[in-house]
Amino acid sequence: MRSNPAGRIVLEVVMVLLALLFLYPLFLAVFNSLKSFQEVMTDVIALPKHFSFANYSYVWKFINYPRLFLNNFVVTALGLLGIVLVSSVAAYKLSRTGTKLSAVIYFLCIMPMLIPFQSIMLTVLKTAQFLHLSNSTWGLGLLYWGFGAPLAVFIYHGFVKGIPRELDESATIDGASGFRLFFSVIFPLLKSVTATVVIIDVMWIWNDFLLPLLMVNGLPTTKTLTLAAYTFVGQYTSDWQYAMTAMVMAVLPSIIVFIFLQKYIVKGVVAGAVKG
Amino acid sequence: MNKWGRRLTDKVEFGIFTLPVLICVAVAFYIPFVLTVRYSLTKWNGISKHPKFIGLDNFKQIFTGDSIFASSSWFTVKYMILYIVIINVLAIALALVLDSRLKSKTFLRAAFFIPYILSLVIVGFIWKFIFMQGFESLGASTGWPLFGWSWLGDSGLAFWSVLFVSIWQSIGFYMVIYIAGLQSVPDDLKEAATVDGAGPVRRFFSVTLPLLAPSITIAVFMALTNAIKVFDIILSLTGGGPGNSTYSVAFDIYQDTFTNNMYGYGTAKALVLFVAVLIITVVQLTIFKRREVEG
Repeated sequence: MRSNPAGRIVLEVVMVLLALLFLYPLFLAVFNSLKSFQEVMTDVIALPKHFSFANYSYVWKFINYPRLFLNNFVVTALGLLGIVLVSSVAAYKLSRTGTKLSAVIYFLCIMPMLIPFQSIMLTVLKTAQFLHLSNSTWGLGLLYWGFGAPLAVFIYHGFVKGIPRELDESATIDGASGFRLFFSVIFPLLKSVTATVVIIDVMWIWNDFLLPLLMVNGLPTTKTLTLAAYTFVGQYTSDWQYAMTAMVMAVLPSIIVFIFLQKYIVKGVVAGAVKG
Repeated sequence: MNKWGRRLTDKVEFGIFTLPVLICVAVAFYIPFVLTVRYSLTKWNGISKHPKFIGLDNFKQIFTGDSIFASSSWFTVKYMILYIVIINVLAIALALVLDSRLKSKTFLRAAFFIPYILSLVIVGFIWKFIFMQGFESLGASTGWPLFGWSWLGDSGLAFWSVLFVSIWQSIGFYMVIYIAGLQSVPDDLKEAATVDGAGPVRRFFSVTLPLLAPSITIAVFMALTNAIKVFDIILSLTGGGPGNSTYSVAFDIYQDTFTNNMYGYGTAKALVLFVAVLIITVVQLTIFKRREVEG
């Protein structure tokens, strides 16, 4: 390939065409969200005749988009905050303590990675109802603390091992201890691994479907974006122009974030997979 | 005295640092898991206050008298094997092309990765629209009979549709794992093979592929854990249909529990899924551990 520029250009063109074909379904979704019902029914693959955002304003109001967006944001932010705090603190202590108890707790923390969510979904719902965490945006966010902890503890635990203990000791001599030691000395050193945890968990919580379906589907005010799109399509089975609009509105935030943070997202996903 | 005080502080600190995570994990996993085991031994519609204890009857029923469970298990196994093989072969091929010096590689990587950041349920709906409406128009304009087939209405084809859409959604993830793996293969090793006169095919099989082994381990493991739990795409793309032909085990559990209100029976099935996942994971980890030690 290096010695053959013509071959390279051909490969380049073929790959770009292939990539565009690969993304064609997404283009179709966008095009059809801009069409009227008539236009969608006569020809799906034609470009919209004129750009009209009528569908968008309709769906925006109907599903109360700003509210859903806020819900998604609260759930994701709350979940993330808890996962990072609770897991990093615990992983640090567990990694620094050599006792048997510490090993047992570590095992208890990471073992649930083997439990498929569908195996416990009904009883998770029952537990959440008992604790009054169901039907609440905040409750859903809190639940993610536990669901996200195993992977996060695992990733943090491995990373803390690589931080020399002398750092803790010199900080102790300086008078720092407990949480102050952790947050002023150790936590800043965990920046790269925190980024990995954040990226993986944001993608997961933002898009998650089954847990929100079980927890917050009852009320229109607590729904998440994906959940609302799902219910919306259920109601408008043949109004594809509205359905596609709802789809585009649900995925657009992710795509915009991805375009800006592409490099970090891919790096984080790879790091998470390799460590996990 | 001072020493004792110090030790006590250490213990208290250990507790403060680790107790929160234990509580969170207990609420999310351990309490529900214990309840799952308990309910699996009962007959319960979710409404009555007291589930009726029936011993192992649910499990007997699952393995002897449940044709949907049998067909959904077969669906899941078939899906798992094909998903793992196809997605890894395609992802390696894509990674090889995109690891070369193409000018557009940044765009290409992003393009193939994008579906992975989208919610599976939504991906399922978008493809449902393509299969049901888009193919009609595509058929009309190209005349290819392929577009006229009933991709979601025929039980044989619906399986391939589910598989295809799953692969479309997640191939970017496996691709970036392999690209990362290829970048850790030293260039001089590839060049040395070229000097030795190895052609591109030989070079791939005798140099690149063995060096990709750690990436393959990771990718196969991830593909397996994802495939065995396939659920969201089925819910939005086929709804399990036509008939029950695209029921996966996870989907079957969901249906039994939340649509048919057979809480006891559904949790028993859920427990069977857990044991299956546990066995497969442990076997796979042991095999890979052994191989890593040898290598």
